[in-house]
Amino acid sequence: MNTNTMKWLLRREFWENKGSMFWAPLVVGALLVLLVGGTVGYGIIGHGVPGHIVINGQTVANGGMSAAISLDSRIMIAKVASGMYLATASPLFFMLVFAVFFYCLNSLYDERRDRSILFWKSLPVSDTMTVLSKAAMAMIVAPLITIVLAVAASLALLVVVCIALGTQGMNMFGTMLASPDLYLSPLRLLSLLPVYVVWALPTVGWLMLVSSWARSKPFIWAVGVPLTGLLLLQWTNAAMQKISGTSLAIMPYAQDLVARILGGVVPGIWFTYRTDLAPDLRPTASGIDVGAIVSNSYASLAGLDAWFGVALGALMLFGAIRLRRWRDEG
Amino acid sequence: MNAVIEAKNLSKRYGKRIAVDGIDFTIPAGRIVGLIGPNGSGKTTTLKAALGLIPFDGELSVLGFDPRTQRDDLMQDVCFIADVAILPRWLRVGDAIDFVAGVHPRFNRAKAERYIASTKLNPAMKVKEMSKGMIVQLHLALVMAIDAKLLVLDEPTLGLDILYRKQFYQNLLEDYFDEHKTIVITTHQVEEVEHILTDLMFIRDGRIVLAASMEEIGERYIEVMVAQDKISAANALQPIDRRTVFGKAVMLFDAGVPGGATRQQLAALGETRNPSVADLFVATMKGSYA
Repeated sequence: MNTNTMKWLLRREFWENKGSMFWAPLVVGALLVLLVGGTVGYGIIGHGVPGHIVINGQTVANGGMSAAISLDSRIMIAKVASGMYLATASPLFFMLVFAVFFYCLNSLYDERRDRSILFWKSLPVSDTMTVLSKAAMAMIVAPLITIVLAVAASLALLVVVCIALGTQGMNMFGTMLASPDLYLSPLRLLSLLPVYVVWALPTVGWLMLVSSWARSKPFIWAVGVPLTGLLLLQWTNAAMQKISGTSLAIMPYAQDLVARILGGVVPGIWFTYRTDLAPDLRPTASGIDVGAIVSNSYASLAGLDAWFGVALGALMLFGAIRLRRWRDEG
Repeated sequence: MNAVIEAKNLSKRYGKRIAVDGIDFTIPAGRIVGLIGPNGSGKTTTLKAALGLIPFDGELSVLGFDPRTQRDDLMQDVCFIADVAILPRWLRVGDAIDFVAGVHPRFNRAKAERYIASTKLNPAMKVKEMSKGMIVQLHLALVMAIDAKLLVLDEPTLGLDILYRKQFYQNLLEDYFDEHKTIVITTHQVEEVEHILTDLMFIRDGRIVLAASMEEIGERYIEVMVAQDKISAANALQPIDRRTVFGKAVMLFDAGVPGGATRQQLAALGETRNPSVADLFVATMKGSYA
């Protein structure tokens, strides 16, 4: 594979999708810092340190008045905050889901609709390379951009909150900066990317397959067909249960399949398939075991179903390549 | 290897409709070939087959490659403009040049920039801000800077005004074409390309009805302004077309067929001249839409 060509193909995808993949998360990240940081900062500076501190919904009850906060409690707050501060950027990941979903859905459809495919195909770039560049954009580049922006926004928010606390005589910088979680959290987030790729592949493959196949309305085909199929199966299943008392054996598999080809681009979706692995994120005396998110995420790859999805996704990407190669645009 | 495109029994059907009906043709290197035919005659389909964009039946070799199985190799040496104004709307002039320079080993960046500088385009401009004529200028700048062995142009100037059209073909001839390159053009505006063509191919209902060099055509087809008193004599020589211009009969003769009229015979009937490609086209395609 020609890496130089791949680099240009990715750059091309970025030019085309700069709005949804860069500017939108950047604006939202900036708003988060401004609004949340502003509100919290104003609250702390204007009304003093509250009796308890809520960080991402986790109540740290032993806060008390700033003077009364013991060193232990401060360390505890720092631990929770340094472990969880990235969660404040979760709106960015929520946006990523939509950006990636619609990016895949339109990736091979828009170029056929505006006929620009005839221009791209006049250059010495194979269909395989083009389709793979779009898949890589969806599963690697777009999440990477979001991770960078999310880390930046979260750190900025953390600084704002620490400064606000500092004005009330509660200096959190030292404990915060000494907390290893502060530095590990972005790395943990980054290390989840390969897991994301594995679980996103069936969805990306499906959406791109539909995108290269549909003559019109790719959304209806991509979402409507699996959901309608599932509904019909459910009716059949219900009827069978009424009549013979047995249920369709494929029912759970069908539900699983639909969930995986439509929901795979949601970060952390793997914990809904493997509920046994979902980490316990309640704070304990030693802070929060954020590392468990990473180890449990990797544990989700041990099951056969993860790799079945990879095979299915690869197969659908192959189908998308073949379709792009031979689809006649009239 | 002399032939750039060689087709043997090339066919393409869409369902029951036969778009290209078992055609044979050879296009040698260093030619500018006009593939001319009415709407739906199969010209675009033929070109799409040659560019590996659609599956087809029969044999087709382009620069020695099979476009079905060796398209990736083929595209190193072939370039095409398949339609007017198909550049994506979000593309910037500067990005377009960067991208093609990045992926095409035969792209001459300086040449593209020189051409862009001679237009009203600037590097920051997006395609969606351009007129149709400007989009074609950008496309031409990109394509002309690619040193391809074969350039295929399918209706490259459709819907452009005459200034853009003239300039397009002039640039192509002056700054692009040389004896190592081959250009295949389809267009409806026959009169604008006929002076740059070296070869002509007429296609009708998926079949090639005429394939000849411009010299051969000049020798073979003769148009005569027949004098009033010689009309019956002229009709006896079986003209392939008759029309009346300002009350005078103008007849077209094919001197190439065995037993056809000779140049001397025709000169006796009245003033002779070479027909325009447009007139020849109209005569050949008579009844196409009937």
